[in-house]
Amino acid sequence: MKDLKHLIFFEDLLLEANNKLIQQARQEGKICVAYTCENTPEPLLNLEGTFSARLRAPRTGSIDVATYYLTSFLCEYSRALLERAIEGGFNFADCIVTPDGCSMMNRCVENMELLHTMGKDNDRFFFEYMEIPMKSDDNGLNLYKLQCENHILKPLKEHYGIDVSDAAIRKAVAEHNRVCELIRAIGEFRKGPQPRITGYEFCVFNLATYVAPHYLLVDMLEETLEELKTREPDEKSPFRARVVVVGSEVDDTDFIKLIEESGAYVCADRYCYGSLPGRDPIVLTDDEDALTQICRQYMQRGQCPRYMNTEKMLGRRQYVADLAKEYGADGIIYQQMKFCDPWAYEKMLGSHILREDYGYPVLAVDRPYAIAGSGQMRTRVQAFVESIEIKKIQGGASNG
Amino acid sequence: MAKEIGADRLGDFYVAGSKVRNRREWRGVQDTLYDYSRWLKIMMTLGKFMMKPRNVKAFFRYRWMANYLAVPMMVDRHTQGLRGEYLRMCHTEQDLIIDDVAKLLDNLFRGDRRIGNDTEFSKKVVLVDENEMTAVMMGFPMLKCLSRETPSTYVSVLLNQHAAEHYIDVAQEFGLAGDVCPMPEAEAGVSIDDDAPVLGACAIQCNTTCDGSLLGNGVISKRLELEDGVPVFQLAAPLRHREDDVQEYAAQEIRNAIAFVEKHTGVKWDWKEYFECAKRVNYATKCRQEWLDMNRTDYPQVFGSNLALYTETNYMAICGRVADFEKADRKLSKLAQQAYKKKMRAAKEYRHRAIVWGVQSHFYMDFLVWLLNCWGIVPLTDMLSMVSTKMIAEEDTPENREQAYYDMAWLTENMIMRNRTHGGYRVLLDELWQFTEEFNADMVILWEHICCKALDGMHGLFEDRARDLGINLVWVQHDLFDPRIINRQGVRDQINNYMRTVMREEPIDPSLEILPDEESW
Repeated sequence: MKDLKHLIFFEDLLLEANNKLIQQARQEGKICVAYTCENTPEPLLNLEGTFSARLRAPRTGSIDVATYYLTSFLCEYSRALLERAIEGGFNFADCIVTPDGCSMMNRCVENMELLHTMGKDNDRFFFEYMEIPMKSDDNGLNLYKLQCENHILKPLKEHYGIDVSDAAIRKAVAEHNRVCELIRAIGEFRKGPQPRITGYEFCVFNLATYVAPHYLLVDMLEETLEELKTREPDEKSPFRARVVVVGSEVDDTDFIKLIEESGAYVCADRYCYGSLPGRDPIVLTDDEDALTQICRQYMQRGQCPRYMNTEKMLGRRQYVADLAKEYGADGIIYQQMKFCDPWAYEKMLGSHILREDYGYPVLAVDRPYAIAGSGQMRTRVQAFVESIEIKKIQGGASNG
Repeated sequence: MAKEIGADRLGDFYVAGSKVRNRREWRGVQDTLYDYSRWLKIMMTLGKFMMKPRNVKAFFRYRWMANYLAVPMMVDRHTQGLRGEYLRMCHTEQDLIIDDVAKLLDNLFRGDRRIGNDTEFSKKVVLVDENEMTAVMMGFPMLKCLSRETPSTYVSVLLNQHAAEHYIDVAQEFGLAGDVCPMPEAEAGVSIDDDAPVLGACAIQCNTTCDGSLLGNGVISKRLELEDGVPVFQLAAPLRHREDDVQEYAAQEIRNAIAFVEKHTGVKWDWKEYFECAKRVNYATKCRQEWLDMNRTDYPQVFGSNLALYTETNYMAICGRVADFEKADRKLSKLAQQAYKKKMRAAKEYRHRAIVWGVQSHFYMDFLVWLLNCWGIVPLTDMLSMVSTKMIAEEDTPENREQAYYDMAWLTENMIMRNRTHGGYRVLLDELWQFTEEFNADMVILWEHICCKALDGMHGLFEDRARDLGINLVWVQHDLFDPRIINRQGVRDQINNYMRTVMREEPIDPSLEILPDEESW
């Protein structure tokens, strides 16, 4: 396929946490709100005068100092973030908001605070920790809303004078939705037998929307969408199977590239940093305040395994099955970052249930934070692709 | 063989390759007779339990039941070297706990569809997690609050260090990563293996100590709710439990849990009973505070495993619901006061005053006894015993009925272990150093459970602070339920090495330094 015009720009953007668009926005006087978890309602971080940057540590090298503080038993994502923070790599942030989503991320940010890694020259800098619901119900909604008020809106207003009114939130949602609609529209081109965008390319565009100011991306995303409408797919696809990637945090585009180089087209992305459901637009009505509606939608659509009520647990597997059907997947790759407790359990149950109850071939793998050079992972994905092909030849036996 | 404390070489009792020790300890006529009489009582408890055919049947149905043959040995491990009041305190606690677990097992098998199958009884049973605060059951005296995980995994590992290995392997064979905490992993393994009694009108699960426990519940509820048809309520206790803005959420979860139990059992919440239990909770808190106050002096009395095991049972599993524990509290306080007045000491030499922090190894709970006898390190208190000291409302008034939801929520949020592993760095990191100062401790024994992310995530900061304060910090790594990763001698060697190389000390009882207990229960 012909190269997409903005792909290289977006790829470059992802090579640095402190990317050029973040620098540009800060030069324009905007406040950078750093965050670390998909359970943080993004529109609340993108009010007038602020923009969000979800932390990642591209081109991670040694994580020895962070390993001293966190030990080698915490996931490499949390260690890579702490290492980068200690190195001063997140000094572009003006504050950080983190939900107590998992113990490791919580400890990572606590270490950032106690080691005084950020905000040294900014007396308005703040660390905020949020409680977020573990069940999707009315009680959870009340908690979510209160936590957003106390740990996002109130500090932003008090420290930086940000307008946190309902009108301001609605405006932020409208801008957020524009990005979501563009990403979802781009993602639609992954459907069908001859997709016009590879999983890797989509991953690059989508990931950028989490780590760069939205308002600086919209034009390029619009242009990319237009470009895709007329992009000619390759006559012969290089892929031998279509897979949904499900699981824990993935901010490493090389992981998706590795899967595709091994013959599996990544047609849907259900992982932290993915577009499903992360880039679902937020639908607001006028009969209720915007904050409540945002929290409800984040809570109801959330696919994080920390949601512990039975309906949510069953819903997570159904969601993956629905995606596989909608995007025409031949198989599912459940991945977890090593030492991630929530996804260790979800991967175990999900891989059995999707295989046994829904009949999909499933590959379950764990992986390090940065994986590009992993021959072991490549071999496993290649073997999975072959097993899917054999099943197709044999008429669809579905024992995984 | 002598009456005096510390006269025996306690390591000489161990026999390489044997599950049991070579003989019972001679403690002088009076104490030996007392100890023997308690041993007979334990045997009677076990004998009575085995008189019932359904319990014999359960022995052959459930793999983990074989561990209960080791009950007397467990008590012997915790009474090593004890004399006088200390011996009596230990037996008062342990015998009561044994009795309580025996009743738990008996009730489980009575209602178990595979064993006793008493359906009417089963309708009055509410299942709870092993590590769950049972406050939400304080107002249901007509119901039986039973935990399947307590006897299948938790107590089993206390009895037999190798008890959980099979279930850990089962979970990993099923696809669970090997780097998660082995406690919820073993519980999940029991469920995957279908090796838990099946009974109950409903169940209440809780996100207890960590991400692992929260997620492990999903494995159990899949079996329990979807296959066995037992409705499950997931009680979500907030993680940042010291914050004011989570308390309403927590209280509402309690209201919802009570409504769920009422719906599925047809039994109404009893406020009178609740406040009776609340009085007992407060009394237990008062006693624990008195013991801890004593431990701040030169003559600590209720400490080490005497404090840890009992607190865990009484505070969390009992939570005021069993009157016998109030009697035990009273008796323990009396014994402690007697010993304190006599300025008694539990070992012949006290060299160091230590706070034991972190999540202790369940396959080696008598490590605290070893610390004292081998190196003279007095475990003044431990992280799991430093639980809520807040007095809850105990008078039945309309205002207190509303307050009670917040009190139950507070207790649930502050269940053992989670009150430190959750709640931010202040409760885990900052408060440790406050306690070392309050208890005049010169040493911190820091259990580093290698799969506990909440603990591991503070590793470097623990070291930094200890260095700043000049406290001797001794890391003791272990894998909680799995001695194959770090065995008991591996645990001891970490202390031995520190004491010899850093402190340049010789052991008080050299026979304990290396013990051939790898095959032991």
